[in-house]
Amino acid sequence: MPTLQFSSLSEFLQMGGVYTFHIWTVYLLFAIFIGYNLIQPRMARRQFIREQKRRAARDAELATKPRES
Amino acid sequence: MWLWFSKLGSPRWFYELSSKWLPWLYAAMIVLMAIGLFWALLIVPEDYQQGQTIRIMYVHVPVASISLACFPLMAVAGTITLVWKMKLADMVAKSVAPIGAWFTGLALASGAIWGDQIWGTWWAWDARLTSLLIQFFLFIGVIALRSAIESQDAAAKACAVLAIVGAINVPIIKYSVEWWNTLHQPASSFSMDPVAPNPPEVWVPLLIMISAVYVFFVIALILRTRNEILQRERRSQWVIDLVSREKSV
Repeated sequence: MPTLQFSSLSEFLQMGGVYTFHIWTVYLLFAIFIGYNLIQPRMARRQFIREQKRRAARDAELATKPRES
Repeated sequence: MWLWFSKLGSPRWFYELSSKWLPWLYAAMIVLMAIGLFWALLIVPEDYQQGQTIRIMYVHVPVASISLACFPLMAVAGTITLVWKMKLADMVAKSVAPIGAWFTGLALASGAIWGDQIWGTWWAWDARLTSLLIQFFLFIGVIALRSAIESQDAAAKACAVLAIVGAINVPIIKYSVEWWNTLHQPASSFSMDPVAPNPPEVWVPLLIMISAVYVFFVIALILRTRNEILQRERRSQWVIDLVSREKSV
């Protein structure tokens, strides 16, 4: 049965105390990397849908409006 | 087989199929990532040489090894684009470039932070580090090339050629640690022996993290490719219908 390496939360956050900053910086960068690459495409998709809806609405409006000579 | 091949090349077919895959991929990623991170951060024992910084390995190795898969994938997609003119292949090639740049960038950054501790320097011009840096610039180059060429077909061809030529760098990165004396250590072998320098308690969580990051890579690639499909097929009826079914945001 595997055992936990840390007995308390503060000990875990310290990561041995010497290279705390190194270890947590790498994991922070990893979190940013995962987050950005999942959220950015979803935002881009939303933006695309918004643009296309606006375009469709404008086209529909133009189609119904009687042409002025 | 050919029917399947031409169907797979249809962007609409890929879009609809990937809609079904995505929830499963998300579920697999969350489960693997949770197990992998818990194990890597809390259970893996301290290394006798590097202490707690062994935990950096569980980010660096998955990201760096998958960064090496991005360029061959782009080269294969480029070849398919050039030979069979498959539209979907070029969309994949375009989508994989920024993801590859992210993977390579994080591999370099996490390696530098790790090296600062175990080597005493964050950067050295050795073969492994330099060849990986070249890969990063090649990805930036592919992205820049595509945005510089206005015609979509011409950009696809130019990027395909650059991806195929640039793929020569991948075996150089991979074998650099064997061909030259580098600061970077060669790949470690997995051993079942519990008292080996690299016992299962160290590499099993690594394999889980590698699978988790692989699934993440597939999700990121599918999401970007789907956006590219919508963008390029925006005038076709199925995308117009899809947009009208979406609720306003």
